[in-house]
Amino acid sequence: MTEILINGQPVQARPDQTVLEAALAAGFYVPYFCWHPRLSIAGNCRMCLVEVEGRGLDIACNMPVTAGMRVLTDSEEVKAHRKAILQFITLNHPVDCGICDKAGECRLQDYYYTYNGERSKSVEPKLRSSKHHGLSDRIVLDNERCILCLRCTRFTHEVSKSKSLGVERRADASNIRAVEDGSLDRDPYSDNIIDLCPVGALQSRSFLYKARIWYLEPTPSVCPGCERGCTVQIWHRKAEWRLKALDPRQNTCIARVTPLENPAVNGAWICNKGRDLARIFERARAEHPMLKGKAVALDEAVQAARALIVAARRPAALVSNWGSNEELAAFKRHLGEMFATFVKIDAAPEPGERIADELLIRPDKNPNTACARALFGDGPPILPEGSDLVLVWGEGCDFATLPRGARIIFLNCYLRPENGHADVFVPLSTQTERRGHYTNFEGTVSEFQPCFSKPDSVADAAVLFEALAAPVQARP
Amino acid sequence: MAGQQLLMTFPVTATSHGLAEYRARGGYTVLEDALHTRTPQEITQAVTAAGLQGRGGALFPTGRKWAVVVPGDGQPHYLVANADEGEPGTFKDRWILENAPHLLLEGMLLSAYALEARHCFIYIRGEFDLPYRRVAAAVEEAYEAGWLGEHIGGTGFACDILVYRGAGAYVAGEASGLLSSLEGKKSYPRNRPPRLTVRGLYQRPTVVNNVESLSNVAGIVAHGAAAFRAVGTQKSPGTRLISVSGHINRPGVYEVELGFPWRKFLEEDCGGVLGGRPLKAVVPGGISSKVLTGAETETLRLSHEDLWSAGSTLGSGGMIVVAEGTCMVRLLQIMLRFYHHESCGQCTPCRDGTGWMHRIIDRIVAGDGRPEDIERLYYIAKYNDGTTICGLGDAAGFAASGMLDKFRDEFDYYIAHKRSRCEGRIE
Amino acid sequence: MNDLIAEFEALRARFPPGFESSFVLPCLRRMHERRGYVADADIDALVALLGVPRIQVEEALSFYTQFRRRPIGRWHLQICRNVSCSMRGADRLLEHLQRKLEVAPGETTPDGRCTLDTVECLGSCGTAPVMMVNERYVENLSLTTLDRLLDELK
Repeated sequence: MTEILINGQPVQARPDQTVLEAALAAGFYVPYFCWHPRLSIAGNCRMCLVEVEGRGLDIACNMPVTAGMRVLTDSEEVKAHRKAILQFITLNHPVDCGICDKAGECRLQDYYYTYNGERSKSVEPKLRSSKHHGLSDRIVLDNERCILCLRCTRFTHEVSKSKSLGVERRADASNIRAVEDGSLDRDPYSDNIIDLCPVGALQSRSFLYKARIWYLEPTPSVCPGCERGCTVQIWHRKAEWRLKALDPRQNTCIARVTPLENPAVNGAWICNKGRDLARIFERARAEHPMLKGKAVALDEAVQAARALIVAARRPAALVSNWGSNEELAAFKRHLGEMFATFVKIDAAPEPGERIADELLIRPDKNPNTACARALFGDGPPILPEGSDLVLVWGEGCDFATLPRGARIIFLNCYLRPENGHADVFVPLSTQTERRGHYTNFEGTVSEFQPCFSKPDSVADAAVLFEALAAPVQARP
Repeated sequence: MAGQQLLMTFPVTATSHGLAEYRARGGYTVLEDALHTRTPQEITQAVTAAGLQGRGGALFPTGRKWAVVVPGDGQPHYLVANADEGEPGTFKDRWILENAPHLLLEGMLLSAYALEARHCFIYIRGEFDLPYRRVAAAVEEAYEAGWLGEHIGGTGFACDILVYRGAGAYVAGEASGLLSSLEGKKSYPRNRPPRLTVRGLYQRPTVVNNVESLSNVAGIVAHGAAAFRAVGTQKSPGTRLISVSGHINRPGVYEVELGFPWRKFLEEDCGGVLGGRPLKAVVPGGISSKVLTGAETETLRLSHEDLWSAGSTLGSGGMIVVAEGTCMVRLLQIMLRFYHHESCGQCTPCRDGTGWMHRIIDRIVAGDGRPEDIERLYYIAKYNDGTTICGLGDAAGFAASGMLDKFRDEFDYYIAHKRSRCEGRIE
Repeated sequence: MNDLIAEFEALRARFPPGFESSFVLPCLRRMHERRGYVADADIDALVALLGVPRIQVEEALSFYTQFRRRPIGRWHLQICRNVSCSMRGADRLLEHLQRKLEVAPGETTPDGRCTLDTVECLGSCGTAPVMMVNERYVENLSLTTLDRLLDELK
């Protein structure tokens, strides 16, 4: 370890650390825009200037620690320089806070209040530039807000490797631009640059103007898009901000999805599929239990299903690899003895979807195959001859492949024509309506928590399995 | 003649730049001799002991730069001659490229031998046409004569020199910006550490030296460090090629022995101020050096230490002579426009600061200046000093603060009266 | 551009290994010499030849003043407006050029003959005022020599 002094305090640093890393680790906050722990050092924003006794001021993000160095992070010189850097950054930065999505989570806002707070010294009109430049199908760039920290550009070169962003022109006419061959549109990790952007320059088209972030709260969850199981934050309206004046859907929808930092699984990133979880979870819901298409109360549906189970000679089950660890365990415990159980592949890759890469994306587009196979084996989902009752749990089953004449109990979340064809149909809660865990392809278990309440008429699968296993009540 | 001459020692004719006449002048004998009788370390020692200071603008001791390169470290080393000459007022490297290209090549070869550089580059600004053709021709001549390639001088020393043309960017004259450009990218300078002599071109140890610096190496090796030190002053040994332009009767490139009296040089060698007008100011070493008043040239010698003690620098040796009656406000406007145009845009203080300074001075010149504009210009200069990735930000600040320090009353007048005190005259 | 490939390969042979990225600038310059500007198809060809990221080429084209993505006139007149040239009359010469050619800096005459641009220091301050005409430096300009030059440019 190398010992340095920060503001007079001894700090133990690793010899390969920079002063910025050592300071942050020791609890001394040094402001920065362009630095990021997972990107190369750019050293262009100059916000992290610190004073080293005997050497003057220099940026901390690119400063190796040397034994005995005496660093000052809050001297008068440092403070004056921070104000000046903020003067330069806000020289042409539009005062868009009132209409900018980033407000409330904007590094520039936070630093301005903490370190500057003075009026601009400039009387020049601010430079104008394109405020709604379509960087890609998913991302809009406001060039006036951009502070050219180049985090976005470095991300595409170093992490997603699409190399799809760069800088056109020079001086204060510089603009971030996407390469002209459309690579950014094809970069499945593109939206991470929205999180990385320290100001409101990069905005998600799907989130644009949807909600102020202080009305939202994040709930930890797991992306079900593939067996990586990246941990995410699902943002939705805080309970106290669910206003009657709003469309009820706005009160209970997924506003946006961001990564939940996780060194063991996905680091700081997720792919765009994870951003689009609303596409999965906000499809039209099945809300009513049915018997052959006729809506009934949940009790009646459960009773009917129990009767079918008791009467069946060769019951088989196709379980969902979107079931949580808890739900799958509940199936095993309550129904595993009764049913010949196979693991179904609920979701296949969509046309054009990237199958796999070296970053995050995995070929199995389902969140919990690992747990399902551990419980029920990895044989293919081929039903035995003569199965006369099939319990289908989850999506991805083509009913035409089921044995003719078999009775069908179908458990699913979403509205589909097959719901009405099943002998018994029970609607289920989605991942966002309950707590649970998934096991990823490496065996790592991650938790998801509920964001919303489930509709009254749908069942939690784990509870339902226990109910289905109870002996049939004798008919009076 | 302004003191002893070391480089401009032959009459320039239509053919004096060629290999034949260079050889007739004794060219390449130093290289041949050194390859057979000296070690690389001896070359470096000579250059270090001679106290050669970089002649591109920073005046950094050349030997000290070379010393960082570790001999025998098992990786490629590169030597790059910085022929990007873009500092306004400077055109002396051009003289060497056009008239003494083989002097540069021989200097590069000796330096490459000292630095164990197998490949060398001459990065020449894209606009230079005749200088490029002369250097490219000289390189071909050198290959044909066996001074480049394998087994040079019949020894095991091999070296290639490649000429690389820029494409129009002042910031490519900054050493790390130059290497970014040489790597085929936009000319963004780099933060240090690491120094370029540790990780430079394609992350290999690289020495970037100015054309004139390298052109002094053959002489130092031939005559020894002591002989070099006998010329010039103790703190700035040798000579400088000074580019003289502006309101001067005989503009051109002159070789000046360091320590030569400044006013004497201007009057006698350069013919004095155009039209016999009084001398108002001189920009000593390119517009990135702080302007001095005409009066200051009377007491100063042309040496590095004299200029430093006066708060300026001899820098690139680009001397611009300004006659009485010239509007310094308009001159500063041209300078600030230049820095704004050339800023690469990478770092905050320079990108935003050069644009800001340009718009302020434009407003002043248009008659819409305010008293606080002076403080604004000083503020921007102050917070570009030592805060940027490269020296362009600092330089823009020096141009502004230098002008304001020496000609403040002119700026106050322009702001107060909304017009120039000199009718806006710059010719 | 295919006939230039042999030239590029010869260039590559002179450089140390691993310098593919460096060829972007010389290749772009060569394309300018051939076509007068760099077309989008040229960019594709260069990326395929060198294996560099396309964005690197786009950035270089945008960053350097000598690179163009649109054609200009037959004669590119670039007059220096920096300190020494201004002090020796560049402003008057520029004004004269604008009046005679009836174009502003950045524009091309309707007959495609001349494109006028102002540039920063060309490194020829001792022979100010200076102008580039295509690749050539024209030095010690005066109104007379300027008029004579314009007559020669067809």
